[in-house]
Amino acid sequence: MVWVETILNGIFLGGLYGVLGLGLALVFGVMRVINVAHGDFIVLTAFIAVFMAATVPGIPPLMIILPVVVIAAVIGWLFQTVLMNRVIENDDLIVPMLLTFGVSFVMRNIMLETFGANPVTLDAGQLSRASIAIGELNLGVLPILTLGVSVILFGALHWGVGHTEMGRVIRATSDNPAIVRIMGVKPGRIYALVMALSLMLAAVAGVLLAMRTSFTPNSGMDRILIAFEVVVLGGLGSFWGALIAGIILGVTQMIGFRFDANSGLLYAHLLFLAFLIVRPNGIFGSK
Amino acid sequence: MDVIQIERLEAFYGDMQALFGVNLSLRAGETFALVGANGAGKSTFMRSLVGLVKDRRGHIRLGGDDLIQTQPEDIARAGIALVPEGRMLFASLTVEENLLMGTMNRRRGHWTLDKVYDLFPVLKERRSQMAMTMSGGQQQMVAIGRALMSNPRVLLCDELSLGLAPVIVGQIYESFAKIRDDGMSIIVVEQDIQRAISVSDRMACLLHGQVTLRVEDTSRVNLDALTAAYFGE
Repeated sequence: MVWVETILNGIFLGGLYGVLGLGLALVFGVMRVINVAHGDFIVLTAFIAVFMAATVPGIPPLMIILPVVVIAAVIGWLFQTVLMNRVIENDDLIVPMLLTFGVSFVMRNIMLETFGANPVTLDAGQLSRASIAIGELNLGVLPILTLGVSVILFGALHWGVGHTEMGRVIRATSDNPAIVRIMGVKPGRIYALVMALSLMLAAVAGVLLAMRTSFTPNSGMDRILIAFEVVVLGGLGSFWGALIAGIILGVTQMIGFRFDANSGLLYAHLLFLAFLIVRPNGIFGSK
Repeated sequence: MDVIQIERLEAFYGDMQALFGVNLSLRAGETFALVGANGAGKSTFMRSLVGLVKDRRGHIRLGGDDLIQTQPEDIARAGIALVPEGRMLFASLTVEENLLMGTMNRRRGHWTLDKVYDLFPVLKERRSQMAMTMSGGQQQMVAIGRALMSNPRVLLCDELSLGLAPVIVGQIYESFAKIRDDGMSIIVVEQDIQRAISVSDRMACLLHGQVTLRVEDTSRVNLDALTAAYFGE
C-alpha cells in the first residue's frame, strides 16, 4: 500500500510539473523560442502570491491564484510586446533565446534586491494538512487539488487551441507567420497572447508549488530545469506529452525518495538523461 | 473604372533590385494575366502587392489609398487577397479551418463557406480532413477558397498550375471561370502563355523585372511578338 501511495503522490506532483512545462511548451510550439526566463517568472508569481497573502491576511490561499494569474497575464503581454516582438522575426533563433536569458538574470537580481535571499513558502493553512482516507490510503487534499487543476488546465488549453477561432489562429501563426499576415492577422499580437497564456500557466504552477516547497529568488533555475525536462521528454511543443512527462518525472522522484530521502530530483534527472539517449525526440515526437 | 493602379513599382531584396518601375492597372471585373519566364519577377510583383516584400517603392493605389507603406495585415483588410505560389496552406489546420482563416480580415461579402463549397463540392466532403493530406489540385482549391473567403476587391493568383497535372489544371481553371463571371477583379500569373490568353481580358509580359509587352485585347494577340517579349529576343 505504501507503494501505491508513493505512485499516487508522484502522479499528483507530476501533474504540477506538467503545468510547469506547459507554458514553456506553448511558447516553443508557437514561436520556436525557449523562454529561459520561464522559471524566474514562475518564482516571481510565487513572490507576488506571498506578498498578497501578507497584504490581505485571511485570504484563502487558492483564491490568491486568480489575481496572480491576471497580473501574470499583463506581465506576459508586456514582456512579449515591449521586448520579445522586437527580436522574434530574427532569422537567428539564438537571438530571442539570448534575450530571455538576459531577462532571467535581471529578474533574479531584482527579486534578490526586493525579497532577499531567505527561503519563503506560501502558507496554505489547513489545506496543507488536510487529507482524505480511501481504504488504507491516506492522500493529501492539496496534492489531489493540484492534479485536478493541472488536468483542467491541460484540457482547457487542448480544447481552446483545437476548437476556438483564437486557437485556430494560434496554430496557423505557428505554421506560417508570414501567410497569416496576408489573412489580416498581426503575429505580434498572437505572440503576446501566447506569452500571456504561458505566464498565466506559470502563475498557477508557481503558486501551487509555493504551497508545497520553499523557494528563493534563485529557485527559477530549478523550475526551468523541470519545465525544460518536461517539454523535451514530452516531445517539443506537445501539450499532452508535457503532462505525461511531468507525471513520469513526479513518480520517479517519489520512488527515488523511498530509496534515498536526500535524493531530491536526482532520479528524475537520471531518467530524463536515459530518455534522451533512448528517445531523443521525446515521447510524442515533434508537435 | 480601375480598381487598382500600380505605378512605378520597384522591389528590392537587400541590394538586389527585382522590379524596375512596373506600371499596371486593373479594371473592375476584368482578369489581367501576367506572363513571363522563371525569374522574371512575377511572384515578386504579386508578393509586393500584398506587402510580403518589405522593401518596395512606387504607388499601389486601391480605392483612393496608397498601400505602398501599408503592412500586409492592413492590405488584407483593404481588400487584396493572394493565392500564393505553392499554395502555402496551414499544415496543422483542416480544410474548413484553412478556409475560415480567410475571414480573419473581417471583410463582409457574399463569399461564404457555402458558396466556396458550391464552387468546390469536394472540399465540403473533406471539410474535416487535414488540408495537407489532400491532393495537389484539392489543395489549390483550398488556397483559392481561402482567398475568396476574405471577400477581396482584388484577387491575385500566383501560378495556379504549378506542380499540377494538366487535367487538374483544366478543372481548376473551369472553376476560375465561375469566379470571373461573379465579377471578381483578378490578376493571374501564369507561365503557360496559351492558358493566360484563354483566361484573361488583357495581359502583360514581364522580363527581368520590367514590362516588355502589353496586350490590350487577348482575343487579338500577336503570338510572335509575345513569344519574343517572353524570352527577351
